[in-house]
Amino acid sequence: MEPKEQSKEKKEKLWFWNWVIASVIFRLVLIYFPKNLNLASRPEVSTPLTSLRRLAEGYWLKQLSMSPYAGSMYHGSPLLLSLLGPLTVKRIEGQPDHLLCSLVFVIADIVNAMLIRATGQNLQMEYTRSLKLLDHVKLSEKPGKIIPSGDIAALVYLWNPFTIVACVGLSTSPIENLAIILSLYGACKRQAPLAAFGWVIATHLSLYPAILIIPMILLLGYGTDTPPRKLFLQRRNVEVGDNPPNDRCCEREEVVHRSEVPHVFSWRPVIHFFCWTSLWSVYVLVLCGISVKQYGGLWELFKRTYGFMLTVQDLSPNIGVLWYFFAEVFDFFRNFFLIVFHGNILFMMLPLAIRLKHRPCFLAFVYIAISSMLKSYPSVGDSALYLGLLGLFVNELADMQFSFFLFCGYVGVSLLSPVMHNLWIWRGTGNANFYFATAMAYACLQIILVVESVSAMLNHDRKLRKPLTELQDGKN
Amino acid sequence: MAESEAEVPKAKPRPIVRLGIFLISHSCLFSVICCTAGVLTLLLLPVLAKNTYISENALMPGSANPMFSSQEVSEANRLVKSLTSLDSKPVGSGIESQRLIAEYMSDLGAEISYHKFYPRSNQFHPLHFFSYPDSGSTRENVSCISHGLNTVGIIRAPRGDGKEAIVLVTPYNSLKVGPGEALSLGIAYSVFSLLTQVTWLAKDIIWLVADSRYGEYAAVNAWLRDYHMPVFSGLSALKAEICPVSNVHNELKENSVTERKINDGFRRAGTMATALVIKVTDGSEHFEDSLSIYAEASNGQMPNLDLINIVNYLAVHRQGLRVKVEKMRSLINCKWLKILGEILQSLGHVAKSLNPQWKFGIPAKDYVEGAATLASSLYYQALGVPTGPHGAFRDYEIDAITMEISSRVALNNKARKNDFLLRGGRLIEGVIRTVNNLLEKFHQSFFLYLLTSPSKFVSVGVYMIAFALLVASLPVVAASLYADAHKVDPSFGIDKSTPQASATDELSITPRSCKWLNAAKKVFLVHLWGAVVSFLPYFICQIPSCTPTTSFVVWVLLSSFSLPILSLILGSSFSYGRPSQPQKRDWTLLKSVTISAAFIGLCLMSVINFATAEIGALLMVPMCLMAQPLKLDIRSRKLRKFLRVACNLALGFLGFPPAGFFVLKGAFEGFGGITVGDFWSWLESIWSWSSATYLYIGWFERTRS
Repeated sequence: MEPKEQSKEKKEKLWFWNWVIASVIFRLVLIYFPKNLNLASRPEVSTPLTSLRRLAEGYWLKQLSMSPYAGSMYHGSPLLLSLLGPLTVKRIEGQPDHLLCSLVFVIADIVNAMLIRATGQNLQMEYTRSLKLLDHVKLSEKPGKIIPSGDIAALVYLWNPFTIVACVGLSTSPIENLAIILSLYGACKRQAPLAAFGWVIATHLSLYPAILIIPMILLLGYGTDTPPRKLFLQRRNVEVGDNPPNDRCCEREEVVHRSEVPHVFSWRPVIHFFCWTSLWSVYVLVLCGISVKQYGGLWELFKRTYGFMLTVQDLSPNIGVLWYFFAEVFDFFRNFFLIVFHGNILFMMLPLAIRLKHRPCFLAFVYIAISSMLKSYPSVGDSALYLGLLGLFVNELADMQFSFFLFCGYVGVSLLSPVMHNLWIWRGTGNANFYFATAMAYACLQIILVVESVSAMLNHDRKLRKPLTELQDGKN
Repeated sequence: MAESEAEVPKAKPRPIVRLGIFLISHSCLFSVICCTAGVLTLLLLPVLAKNTYISENALMPGSANPMFSSQEVSEANRLVKSLTSLDSKPVGSGIESQRLIAEYMSDLGAEISYHKFYPRSNQFHPLHFFSYPDSGSTRENVSCISHGLNTVGIIRAPRGDGKEAIVLVTPYNSLKVGPGEALSLGIAYSVFSLLTQVTWLAKDIIWLVADSRYGEYAAVNAWLRDYHMPVFSGLSALKAEICPVSNVHNELKENSVTERKINDGFRRAGTMATALVIKVTDGSEHFEDSLSIYAEASNGQMPNLDLINIVNYLAVHRQGLRVKVEKMRSLINCKWLKILGEILQSLGHVAKSLNPQWKFGIPAKDYVEGAATLASSLYYQALGVPTGPHGAFRDYEIDAITMEISSRVALNNKARKNDFLLRGGRLIEGVIRTVNNLLEKFHQSFFLYLLTSPSKFVSVGVYMIAFALLVASLPVVAASLYADAHKVDPSFGIDKSTPQASATDELSITPRSCKWLNAAKKVFLVHLWGAVVSFLPYFICQIPSCTPTTSFVVWVLLSSFSLPILSLILGSSFSYGRPSQPQKRDWTLLKSVTISAAFIGLCLMSVINFATAEIGALLMVPMCLMAQPLKLDIRSRKLRKFLRVACNLALGFLGFPPAGFFVLKGAFEGFGGITVGDFWSWLESIWSWSSATYLYIGWFERTRS
């Protein structure tokens, strides 16, 4: 029996790697595809922040010893400029332009998938452990019940059309995603330096991941996702109530249980994390300062990058909803609405953090989804990230409602939006409202996704509690 | 959606949820009602058509008296005469006539340039639709021997700033100038000569004499491409390297007296506001002089309705021409359409007698004519092939139409001919003067409409109702099927104990909400296959020296081979011969997913090209709704079921041949190199859907065995 199972396991592993390799080949084929794919100029793929063309322009300006931020072309980080910039000008004879950059993005995607997989394995281990602790033997031992969520999530990330398009379409979002996933991975493994590094870089590159600090702290303090702490306490109560109180051996068992439930907030890794965060941020700031010293210093840098993000200066159409709104709004209300829109993200943070504090990874997913919905220049790369992370919770979200509807909606919107854009821009028979309608539909879909996934997660927790309460009721 | 709604009925759900549940539980009735309503509304469209009106106030058509007089007519006659005399000479090659026209133009003081172009076979670009027209245009292998030569004359407007232009196009075959072509050149020339003198001109006038040796569309398209995509010196040098520099220009210059005015370079005159393609045919009309308007561009795009309106208005009210648009002749004599028209007419009478304010009845004859026009409008839009050289302009967001003026009798009589020239010239002058008044682009009126007669149209808001009614049943049925699939679930849970249901057991392990994934995989596979099949012609095109028939055979073979390969790659989700019980739940899920996919596809198509979507919906909706696995039906031997099977098979057959027909036609046309690239993309989408559903039905056929 055992060798058979082993071979099956091996087969499954092989299957996973086959698909990974196939995805790489698929990307390479698309990179070598003739230019009429034209993905790099699609508004869905390249926003003012993530477009590689703008980065190349910034690098060119810098080579001419001008400020890379001159002319409102480039708005990214100077570190990215010095990393990717040299690759944009290097051409290999007979190969497509930007081949090296594309390869970098492909590698970033692969690393992302691997990190997601590792995170998923970590999460899954924790999941089975906590199920055992809660004595859900039925749930944990049923064959095939627990799906290898890490593998699934990695494959979902790799084969998601959004990821592929973002990777092939020369946008820097794979690298931004890499930073975010790195920080999550580090926090899951409780490696404070890595987590701090990922968080600092992610915040530096795209600012919005700054809100991930709450899940980071929770992850480092409590450990990865588990059912709510109350359940463990309840479980213990049941066991304690089961036996006569003066039984010694049972007391010992209780002690064992207590040590198994690591639900005490441990401050040490958090403090480590903060130390490392300050260290890394000082490091990054110094590097940035050096590279923009001649061009107005750090203040200019902040104004041109974070200021650009927060004040929504570029109103060219994208898949978000802010461009249309700020194109319409009166100038004297502009600041007010900027505050409202960005405050929206912040308002949602605290309630979610309180409700989902036992599942920090899921909390991170929800934060990423919300920020990708409300951020000023969203692209499909952001959706790729949260859809990939969604795969991590396959076991918990198995009973999610509307999944088919959401799937159809995503397919429909992602097909409809380029068509509407074409009608508006190239054919002249449509107008901006056509395109904005798809953006609204997309935002609604994201809202439904977030709401449904959160409610499915809470339902799952409730379901875990049910047998326990029954046990208790039976005794009472 | 259905799932959640079906689960919470106990808690007295909100009205909208109750409505949803009601619709889903009566999905069968609902879909039948919706489909019939959709078809009825489609038939009612000629009745619902509104009269056209000129929406842009700045246009003011016909507000000025025409300045076109008999003097211009004599000018036209002069050109026509010299052209025909040139033609009778045996030596007169294409260049001679071009030179002649150029000479005439330069006598008027216009700027002249020649535009040399190489005709190229139209290639199918898979993703052509989403990119700008012809973005990567320079790397074609052109045949250097054959080239066409357009002559372009430009008048600079005295009041303009050279930023806007109106284009007149007269396609003609430079090797053999026919009498109609000579007349169209004559009209254009006379208008051109008038416009050199007028003071009111605010937009430059470009007169493009298109060399239609290699097709009218190709010539105009080549000129437009060069107009909008400037070729820089490096590239032109490259071109010169490819093709030995022919000495056309020198030849032309040597002979020309007007050497000083002919420019080697490409002349431009700003953005084009409008383009008018002028054609003349003679002797075909029985009643009076008439004007045919052709407006359909590629992908069923139409010019702004205002352009058609002003042409129609000026032709009818100023020049007394009869204006026609294309009709489906076969429908006019159609019996049932006549009967329907009479029914509608009497209904209209009844309604009028009830309340004189209701005026929706139209005479039966009008109804039939309107329906025939509407049908042809739908047909040409759905086909996506432009009906003339005006189609090339629409790709650059320029509104253009072809005006084909035809006279009552053959134009041998001189007075008759002069009269004809006068009316044609005045009409074109009027249109140009009206467009000249325009301050912005045409934007006020509709772009999305169907014509039922030259002065009646159905706007997008009305015809979308018909489509929406037709398609509305799809999501409801999909939702109800999805809900059904989940309701069937418990019964399978009971069956689990029986040993034969081991396969079901395995399936039911997969989480409840993700069961549809399997079905989605199958549908995706079929669609992928459809896409592969539709992209294959592109690669087959590359095979050199292939007759249409062989390439067609190659295509059929390749496409039938590609399905097993694909299913092998994707983990063989197809299990044809599996002897296990036909699982009803599986099947309902599959149908639900297929229907939603069809719904998304149809909605998408309705945005791109309404006519295609409408015709597709007419075929697909019944097919989707009636499809049933054959095996289940045949087992239960009832008459009703057999009827259903027969219906399914007939529909499946019906759904396929149109696709086959389209493709066949497309294949022949495409290999001949006539059609536009976009036509292929339409073909592709039609084809990929049809094949998807066809295969889907075929799949059930196979489960039977």
